[in-house]
Amino acid sequence: MNKIGFLLGKDLRVLRRSPILLGALIVYPLVFAALVGAVVRYANDRPRIAFVDLDRLPETLTVGGQEFNVPLVLDQVNDSAELIEMEQAEADRKLGNGEVVAEIIVPRGFASRLRGMVESPTLVLKTARGGLSNRVEQQTQALVYGLNRRLQEAYIKANLAYVRLIVDGGTGSFLGDEFDVVGLTRAGEMLAEIERTTKDPATAERAHELSIFVREAKLALGASDESLRATANPIELQVDTGAGRTWLLSAQLQAYALALTLAFICVLLAAAAIASERDENVIGRLSRGLVGLSSLVAVKVVLAALVAVALGLVIALVFGILSTVFDVTGGEPWARLPLLVVGLVLAGAAFGAFGVLVGVLAREARTAVLVAFLAALPLVLLGLLPAGTVQAAHWISQAFPFAHAVDFFQSALYDLDPWKALAREAAWLVGLGALFFAAARLGMRRLLA
Amino acid sequence: MVLALRRVGRPSPSPCQGRRTLKPTLLSAREVSRRYGRIVALAPTTLEVRAGDALALIGPNGAGKSTLLAILAGALDPSDGSLGAAVDRRGPKIGWVPQRPALYQRLSPRENLELFARLEKVPGPSGVADRFIGLLDLPDDGRLTAELSAGNQQRLNLAVALLAKPEVLLLDEPTASLDPRQRRLLWEVATQVREREGAVVFATQNLDELERFASRVAVLVGGELVFEGTLEEFKASPEADVFA
Repeated sequence: MNKIGFLLGKDLRVLRRSPILLGALIVYPLVFAALVGAVVRYANDRPRIAFVDLDRLPETLTVGGQEFNVPLVLDQVNDSAELIEMEQAEADRKLGNGEVVAEIIVPRGFASRLRGMVESPTLVLKTARGGLSNRVEQQTQALVYGLNRRLQEAYIKANLAYVRLIVDGGTGSFLGDEFDVVGLTRAGEMLAEIERTTKDPATAERAHELSIFVREAKLALGASDESLRATANPIELQVDTGAGRTWLLSAQLQAYALALTLAFICVLLAAAAIASERDENVIGRLSRGLVGLSSLVAVKVVLAALVAVALGLVIALVFGILSTVFDVTGGEPWARLPLLVVGLVLAGAAFGAFGVLVGVLAREARTAVLVAFLAALPLVLLGLLPAGTVQAAHWISQAFPFAHAVDFFQSALYDLDPWKALAREAAWLVGLGALFFAAARLGMRRLLA
Repeated sequence: MVLALRRVGRPSPSPCQGRRTLKPTLLSAREVSRRYGRIVALAPTTLEVRAGDALALIGPNGAGKSTLLAILAGALDPSDGSLGAAVDRRGPKIGWVPQRPALYQRLSPRENLELFARLEKVPGPSGVADRFIGLLDLPDDGRLTAELSAGNQQRLNLAVALLAKPEVLLLDEPTASLDPRQRRLLWEVATQVREREGAVVFATQNLDELERFASRVAVLVGGELVFEGTLEEFKASPEADVFA
């Protein structure tokens, strides 16, 4: 163990003597984490969708007496999807070659059906098979939901206008035909007058009964405003955008920042460190009984774990301070630090073992760094794909510590009951680390050749 | 002279074989070879190194000298054959000075010496580092090894090999980057190893060093041992043309 300590001390001293490299290794993954987070977020939020208007919708559409500015409505939809207006042939072609992920078609007669308010007009959605189609369908459902809500408001307003016409009386129109309505208020007054002036007790009795009905109908229709809205929206969603963490402080970004930083730094560092033992021609001297090859692999794995803990704590500290300063809720940045340290050690060691394997295979430090980067980048990106999008990518990413590190960090920092997830991900990290360690140890003789 | 080096399959014993029993065997290699795929870097080779030997390995570039030294040092596993020794070959009793310095370039000479002294379990690493810095006139101004001249790096390379008081010193073209004064210093140190009943095996391309320091000569050509014998036998043999 002493010999491992001596070599570890040497590696840390060498690392300290390369401040520019160390700085670049820290800053690069953080910038990368923010960029990837942004790409993932906005790529998922705003898929490109072709919009085919076969009905040639007018600039202004009047539904239920309420005017809709069609371009304005489409602009509002653009928050959740990028709608690009085009002809059907072009849309079909772009959907075929993947330039757009879906196609929304407004069929002919759509506007007239909408204005008629008698039957629901239909929008047609065409998506590609597999991949993001489920996601696009969800986005489009959200889009149609948004449109329906706005139309619902118009319908309710129009229906309430009819109700008011029935209560108050006046002139109305339906399907283009105008008509006069006495209204319940006036009808009540007329019935009261009949009841008061008639000499026929039977007529007075009937007028009285009708007056009671008119009064009750007025009361009932007076409450129709609220009940109509309640029927249209049995459950209303109240959106409070200020309640959670800002996106920059989100649990997801913090976990990704930690895992990304570790994935690159630990893999590159371990790969370069083991290969440099050969570059400096020292491995032959060490292998002559001074330090066993297993111990040499262990030194680099421990080095990666130590660096992971140091950098991970700095990142956690920054997020924790920002969370405290901005008084954001929804996590336990301080209380869960011990759990986070466990995750940093396991993830750092697993990434380090993978890095040593890369270094052993590459043999030269410069090649090792390049190969480590080329290997880590796609494996990290695979881990960034949301589960369920591409199944094969998900399975491949399971064989690399990144996805498990992300899940571990998220559970450690934010889950109310994290133990089950932590045990599962810790087992994955230990297993992968042991596997990479064994493979690296097997390949160590390559460095002596 | 107590070294015996035989070409594989050679039926007759070395003329010096009779003297082998005079001094103990420090290191022996039996039929050791090294292959890289189909390329044979070293054909099966047998030799013994005894106390007091100064064995010169000579031959053109790529002849297998460095490979043989690395195998003897225990830094390279032979593809076939075995090593045996009166002392543990993996112990600290063999000092290896590879042709390309085996040093941590981002450490200072003192840090290199102290680190390897600790790994060799030499008592008092700081004092030992002081001693070798003085003995081999190494710079001790905090400069990193990467910033030293080739000659200084080679002397530091030698110092690291001497840390554990080796009984066998393996030198791979050690004087290639040394000036005359430094060469003299190196051979003085090597002589001290021989004088304390140790042995020195060195690869060289330098005829002058061969004549002044070697007691035995082994000639390697294309990975095969083509000659072994005393310096006088070598001078009289056709293999001496290897320097021509």
